[in-house]
Amino acid sequence: MTAVAPPIARRTALFHAPDWLRTVDHKDIGVMYITMALVFLVIGGVEALVMRWQLALPEQHVVDPALYSQLFTMHGITMIFLMAIPILVGMANFIVPLQIGARDVAFPRLNALSFWLSLLGGLLLYFSFVAGGAPDAGWFAYVPLSDRAYSIGTGLDYYALGLAVNGAGTIVGALNLVVTIALMRAPGMSVSRIPLFTWMVLVTSALILLAYPALSADLVLLLVDRYMGAHFFTPQAGGDALIWQHLFWFFGHPEVYIVILPAFGMISEVIPVFSGKPIFGYRFVAASSVAIGFLSMGVWAHHMFAVGLGNEADDFFSAASMLIAIPTGVKIFNWIATMIGGRLRFTTSMLFAVGFLTVFVFGGLTGVTLATIPLDWMVTQSYYVVAHMHYVLFGGVVFGVFAGSYYWFPKITGRLLSERLGKWHFWLVYLGFNLTFLPQHLVGIEGMPRRVWTYPASMGWGPLNFASSIGAAILAVGVAVFAVNVLLSLRSGEIAGDDPWDAWTLEWATSSPPPPGNFVQTPVVTSRRPLWDRKHPDRPDPS
Amino acid sequence: MPGGSVRTSTEAIASLGTIVGAIAVVILVGVEIAIVYAIWRYRSSRVGGIPPQITGNTRLEVIWTVLPAITLVVVFVLMIGTMNEIAAAPSSYQGAMPLVVRGHQWWWELRYPQKDGTEVVAANEIHIPVSTEIDVSLQSADVIHSFWVPQLAGKMDLIPGRDNHLRLYASRTGTYFGACAEYCGIEHAWMRLRIVVEPADRFQTWLRGQAASRAAPSGLAQKGEQVFTTALCASCHTVRGSSASGAAGPDLTHLASRTTIGAGVLPNNDASLHDWVADPQRFKPGSFMPLVPLAPDDLNAVIAYLRSLQ
Repeated sequence: MTAVAPPIARRTALFHAPDWLRTVDHKDIGVMYITMALVFLVIGGVEALVMRWQLALPEQHVVDPALYSQLFTMHGITMIFLMAIPILVGMANFIVPLQIGARDVAFPRLNALSFWLSLLGGLLLYFSFVAGGAPDAGWFAYVPLSDRAYSIGTGLDYYALGLAVNGAGTIVGALNLVVTIALMRAPGMSVSRIPLFTWMVLVTSALILLAYPALSADLVLLLVDRYMGAHFFTPQAGGDALIWQHLFWFFGHPEVYIVILPAFGMISEVIPVFSGKPIFGYRFVAASSVAIGFLSMGVWAHHMFAVGLGNEADDFFSAASMLIAIPTGVKIFNWIATMIGGRLRFTTSMLFAVGFLTVFVFGGLTGVTLATIPLDWMVTQSYYVVAHMHYVLFGGVVFGVFAGSYYWFPKITGRLLSERLGKWHFWLVYLGFNLTFLPQHLVGIEGMPRRVWTYPASMGWGPLNFASSIGAAILAVGVAVFAVNVLLSLRSGEIAGDDPWDAWTLEWATSSPPPPGNFVQTPVVTSRRPLWDRKHPDRPDPS
Repeated sequence: MPGGSVRTSTEAIASLGTIVGAIAVVILVGVEIAIVYAIWRYRSSRVGGIPPQITGNTRLEVIWTVLPAITLVVVFVLMIGTMNEIAAAPSSYQGAMPLVVRGHQWWWELRYPQKDGTEVVAANEIHIPVSTEIDVSLQSADVIHSFWVPQLAGKMDLIPGRDNHLRLYASRTGTYFGACAEYCGIEHAWMRLRIVVEPADRFQTWLRGQAASRAAPSGLAQKGEQVFTTALCASCHTVRGSSASGAAGPDLTHLASRTTIGAGVLPNNDASLHDWVADPQRFKPGSFMPLVPLAPDDLNAVIAYLRSLQ
């Protein structure tokens, strides 16, 4: 029969708020990260809505350009550093130790430090608003615009300090996850049996360790330039403005994969479970993540095709960027092949996973057009890039996170999210998302630059922008439905039980929510799907 | 050779875009059909029991690794061909007409180097002769900007301390619209650009006109010049032939020959010029042109003067 004794433990109470200030439990810290991310999701979303209001019609004055610049700068920073990273790190924090059968992460106190540094960085960034104005040089803060000669206020100082502190938390957190996954797996969980979400969190964590220090260094150079007159970036004094860009994108492009890989991991858990089949091509899905991680370190200058590096340099970065399409395509084909021949249960989680597939393919293909240098010369820095990037980051990361949220919410809280509200959530978000960002491809091709606070009526971009703004409003309603769903379900959602989805990985072998220490006894892993083995002793998982 | 080229860069890019776009659409449609098929065929209401537990197929994996790789090689080779045609390397510009574009927050300084070593200075509205190779030298006076006229060519950045080059070629006369494409500060939106492509003789007439000093003002305009040169205006603007020789803002020697003011923010006519000089921050908040308090009579005189600068 099965080698896994039922490691079930019962916690009498359902979900309760963590002991915020003192906890070092990975589940509490995971919930704290997720809470932080959801708060910043609302803030960053409101910033986006104000921008869409301003742009809905040409030559409006809803906000002035000074505030608009702060809004798009803080929207980018918030969604990347204070929403995407914390929600993914938070979900990894909660789920990874459970998935690998561990009692906690390797360094629980360090884990708490990671969270508090991340939050402190976010608070520093937002304190800038009351300290005289938020950063307004874009999330990428190109020098010399971000140098004191052109940004005399303190906004850019809060940018550099806030991101450095936030990044320190992220680096420490990544180190913790790498060690945890490397050393704390349950007996029997060989490398080829690691659940795919954990696999992709491992690759993401490794990428954070490689990429974030470049950003930290860049931020320090900026501060030294701003306050000690070092002129690293000042050409008149022998510096070079492009050093900033190289270091920033050496971090900035891997960052895209840092946030998308855990979402890929969520999709790789959700699609098999709701298809009733193991993932198609486990080794290829896992290996393609490593390939993406490796290649992502050599593509940064595709953000710089218009700076004049020369055709030879551009060709190299174009080729490397195109290569990433191959392992990404492998993943998409394997997810579809997992669905084919299965028995698909369209829960809200699965709806978001399939919705992810349909839009992410589009974002991936526009990515290839941007890697094609002459096409990039045409559409880079236009609304086409805004559209592409949101298809990848919203259609990819956020859809993946929504799929993962409906999937793991019952494990985290002991209660199911409402499927009825979930359907509304999905369809409003799916419609609103496409209506917001599809027209932006066209308006970008027509010549509308990004990061403009308004645009001339004579250019004829009004109708597409209006459609985009209507889409944003629908999207906002969809996200509001999610918020209502979370709040209602926390209070009175259906009791989930240990394994509401008939799933296979170890987090479903313990109670919902799991007790302190997670498992009464250390589970033993016999295959990639330990719970499948227990449920189907007659036909154990072949892996 | 650039001289043998008859297409604009945009036309070359558009034909590459059509091919790459067509490939992308075929892949997109194929994948979406596969997804919709899976949703329809394998939904739980159509399938009973536990499905077969298939874990993979190495041959399929190889196929869907190799086929995209081949497709990407095709795209890459086509791309190299287009890049050679556009010829972004400055060495291929021998014999092209030089034009220096210098970016400022938030306007464009234009310099047309002449064979005698002098330069003709203008701002915000580029005139070029049709069917002529132009070698645009892109420089910046302050932060990074990017030169983009979508109907003629792709972008190239203007970076302080660097001299980037872009090939510009227009096969048809007409007016083309462009803009700064790299975020360069809060008025990035109103750093717009206009390119007038005209027959060679009309271009030469325009160039001669721009090279000349200002027409000597008379009447009200003469009083306007006095106000202009004694008030704050002259500390930022040059009007050749007068004592105004500021360099922070656009050269206004031939302001009245331009279609717009404020790098595209307003049409250039009596009424909007009046409103603009009276309070530039109303139309371009954050611009470096301050509100200069002028008595109504002085303001009218300045407007008459500026309108006389043909």
